[in-house]
Amino acid sequence: MSRKSRFSLLFIVLLLVTMPMVIQAQTPDETTLVIAQSVDVGALEPALINSRAESNIFNHLYGTLFEISESGTLDPYLATSYTISEDGTEWTFTLNEGLTCHDGEALTADYVVYSFQRAADPANAFTGNTAGFVFPSVGYVDARVDGDLEATIITDRAQSEPLRLGLLSEVYIHCQDYYSSITLEEAAENPVGSGPYRFVEWVRDDYVLIEKVPDYTLRTAGFDQIYWRVIPEASTRVAELIAGNVDIIANVPPDQVAAVDNSGSATVQAVSGTRRMYVGFQFGEAFADAPGYEAIQNTDVRVALQHAIDVPTICATLLGTDCERASSMVNPPNNNPELSPYTYDAAEAERLLDEAGYPRGENGVRFEITLMGPRGRYLNDANVVQAIGQYLTDVGVQTTVEILDWSSDYLPRVREKNVGPLFFLGSGGSTWSALYDMADLSAPTAGTNYTNWMNEEWFSLWDSTAGLDPAAEREVVNEMLEVFYNDPPWLLLYFQPDFYGVSNRIEWQARRDEQIVVYGATLK
Amino acid sequence: MGTYIARRLLQSILVMLGVTLLSFLTLHLAGDPTYLYVSERASEQEIIDTRQKLGFDRPLPVQYFDFLGRLLQGDLGTSLRARKPALELVMERLPATLELTLFAMFLSTILAIPIGIYSATKRGTPLDGGIMLFAMLGQSIPGFWLGIMLILSVGLGLRWLPISGHIPVIQPALEGDISTAISNVPNALLHLIMPGITVGVFSLSRNARLVRSSMLEVLSQDYIVTARSKGLAERRITFNHAFRNALIPVVTILGLEFGFLLSGVVVAETVFSWPGVGRLVFNAINQRDIPLVQASVVLFSLLFVMLNLIVDLLYAQLDPRIRLN
Repeated sequence: MSRKSRFSLLFIVLLLVTMPMVIQAQTPDETTLVIAQSVDVGALEPALINSRAESNIFNHLYGTLFEISESGTLDPYLATSYTISEDGTEWTFTLNEGLTCHDGEALTADYVVYSFQRAADPANAFTGNTAGFVFPSVGYVDARVDGDLEATIITDRAQSEPLRLGLLSEVYIHCQDYYSSITLEEAAENPVGSGPYRFVEWVRDDYVLIEKVPDYTLRTAGFDQIYWRVIPEASTRVAELIAGNVDIIANVPPDQVAAVDNSGSATVQAVSGTRRMYVGFQFGEAFADAPGYEAIQNTDVRVALQHAIDVPTICATLLGTDCERASSMVNPPNNNPELSPYTYDAAEAERLLDEAGYPRGENGVRFEITLMGPRGRYLNDANVVQAIGQYLTDVGVQTTVEILDWSSDYLPRVREKNVGPLFFLGSGGSTWSALYDMADLSAPTAGTNYTNWMNEEWFSLWDSTAGLDPAAEREVVNEMLEVFYNDPPWLLLYFQPDFYGVSNRIEWQARRDEQIVVYGATLK
Repeated sequence: MGTYIARRLLQSILVMLGVTLLSFLTLHLAGDPTYLYVSERASEQEIIDTRQKLGFDRPLPVQYFDFLGRLLQGDLGTSLRARKPALELVMERLPATLELTLFAMFLSTILAIPIGIYSATKRGTPLDGGIMLFAMLGQSIPGFWLGIMLILSVGLGLRWLPISGHIPVIQPALEGDISTAISNVPNALLHLIMPGITVGVFSLSRNARLVRSSMLEVLSQDYIVTARSKGLAERRITFNHAFRNALIPVVTILGLEFGFLLSGVVVAETVFSWPGVGRLVFNAINQRDIPLVQASVVLFSLLFVMLNLIVDLLYAQLDPRIRLN
C-alpha cells in the first residue's frame, strides 16, 4: 500500500471512529433538558418580550408577583398576598421575605416598583408585552413603595380582580442595582433575574442556556440545565426529537404526529389550546357594497351559518386531532355552561336561511360572499379556510376564498378592520379569566373588535363588570355570553389544538395556554 | 487600470444606493411594520404610540434620508428587535455563514472542475453520461427537499452525521482562541457536510456541466489539434493548453457564485438550524426590522460588488488579450 493510500485509510478510520462520538455527544445527559422552539428571543430584555417563545424562557429566569397555574388559578409567587384600595385603583402586594436576585441582591419592594417604572419609562421606548399591552389594559399610572416588602401599583380604574391579577402576573420583576447600572444594550444581552433558573449563555439563533439556581425555594427545578434550542424547521425538530437529542418540541405538524408516536423514543401530547378560532362577520360600513354584506347583517343568517360548518370533521381531517367546538368566545372552564355548541346540520342551516329570506336562486345560490384568510399564521390555516368556504357554498352561500400572506397583507388589514365580509382569525385566550377572553370586544371602538360589532346590550353589560365581586361578575359574564350566542359576531369554530413532542425519557405535561413551563419536569 | 477601478467603485456606490432604496421601499410596501411590534390586542392609541417610538410615523423620504445620513457616518442603525447595532449583529453571524458558503463553494468549484474535465475527456462514455445525469439531478432537486431527505436518511436513519446545529471555527479564531478553533474542526466538518451539500449541490452540478462544455469547446480548437499532432501527452494538453482557456467562463461564474451561494444559504440555515446571516435577514424581513435588513443589504451588496470587481481584474491576468480600459 502506498503512503498516500495509507494516509487516506487512516483518515477514513478516524472519521468513522469520531463520528459516532459526535452523534453521542449530542444526546443530553441526565441533568440536562433540551427544548426546541421555532424562533429565538429577539433580546434578553424582559420589557421587550412579544412572543410566547420568548416568555417561555423568561418565565424560568424571572419571578412575577403572582403566577398563572396550569389549571388557570392565580397563585402567589414573589408576592404572598395583595390588598385592593376601596375604589379599586390601587393594588398593594406583600412580598416574601428573604428573596434575592441572581446576583445576590436582596429583592424588596423597591425592585418591584423599579420594574414597573422602568417598563413604563417613555425614555426606554419599550414595545414589549408589559408596556405595550399589560399597562394600557390595567390603566397603569405609577407604582410606589409602601414598606420594605410592600409595593403598590396605582391604576386609573377599578377592574375585575382575576383579570387584573392575571395581567399583572405577566410583569417580570428585575433587579434594580444591576439594571440601573447598565445600558439598555447591555441589559438586552445579560439578564439577571429572580426566578428558579439563571442565565448562562446565549448564542443567537442557536440556543439559550440557563442553569438551576441553588437553594431557590419558591419553585422546584427538576433539571440542572436547560437548553432552549432554536430549530425553525418543523421536520428538523421532529428528527432531533426522535433521535433523542431534544426532549420537548413545540408545534409538531399534524402530519408528523404518527411518525413521532411510532418512533418508540417520543410521543406527542395534543392539547386543546386557548386560542379561539373563528370566522368574523364584518359589520363595518366600508364593506356595505360588498356582495353578501347585507345578508350577514341579519342575525338569523349568522345563526344559520353556524350550522353549516362541520367543525369536528375539519379538526379530524385537517388538524389531525379531535377538538371540541366552541360554544362561546370564552375558554372552558370559564364559559357559560348553559350554552351548547352549535351543531353541524346542513339541512337546518338551509332551513334557517330560507326562513331568513335567502332562498336558493335558480342557479342554487342564495347569495355570494368573500371569505378572507391568512396563510402561515395558524395551524393549517389556508386549508381550513378553503374547507369553510366549501361548506358555506354547499348550503348555497357561494363563497369566494381569498388567502393572503399573514404579515405583509392580512395582519395590516385585520388591524385596520379592513377584512371581510367574512374573515378567518384566531385570538389568544386564557385559562384564568372569562373577561380576558371577552376583552376582544371591550368597546365598540376597541382595536380588537375587528368585526365592528355594535351590540348595545353587550357593551353596556361590559361596562358594568368593573369592580364586581366574583359571583356577580360570573352572572354578568353568563348573560353577555348569551347575548353573544344569540347575536353572534363570530362564526364559532374551535380552540386551536397544540401539539408537543415529548421524549420518553422525561415526565412532563403540556399546558393549554401555549406556555412551556418545565420546573416540574423530571426524568422517568 | 486605476481609472477603471475608480469608475467601477463609483458604479458600485450607485448600485448600493439603488439596492438600499429598493429594499427600503419593498419593506414599507409590504404593510405597516408597526403591527409586528405590538400585542395582538393593542388598541389604536397603543399602535400610534408604538409607531412613534419606532420612528415609522415620519414620512418615508425622511426615514430614508435619515438612514443615508447615518450610513455616511458609518452608522447602519440599531436593530429594532435586538436593541443592538445592526452591523454588529450581521458581523456576529457572518462567520457561520462564511463557513457554510466557503464549504459549499469548495464543493461547487474544487470538485466541479475535475469532474467537468474528467467528463469532457471521457466524452460519450457511460461514465460521462452518468456524471451528466447526476448533474441534471443536482440542478433539479429543490434544496429544501434535499436537506430534509439528508436529515431523514443520513442523520436520523443511519445516524452518521449530526441532524442540525453549528460548531464554530472562524469565530473563535477571530477572537484569538486558536486552540478552540482547531479542536472544533473535526466536529465542525461533520456538522457542515449535510448543509454544505444542500447549499452547494446546484452550483456543483451547474459548474461541472459548464467546465465540461467549456473544455469540449477548447479541446476542439485547432491549437489543441496541433499540440496533439506534435505528440504532446494528453495530460499536458488538457491541463497546460486547454484548461487555462476553458477557465475564463468558469471564473465569470465564480464571481457570481459567491453571491448565489449566499442567497441560497437561507434555506439550508433554516433546515439545519444554522445560526447564520441568511436566517438573521430572513427573520428581520419577517419582523420588518428595517435597520437590520438595510445593514445586511449594504454589507452584502458591497461584498458582491467587490467580488465582481476582483473577478474582472482576474480576467486580465488569465487572458492578456483582455484590456480593462
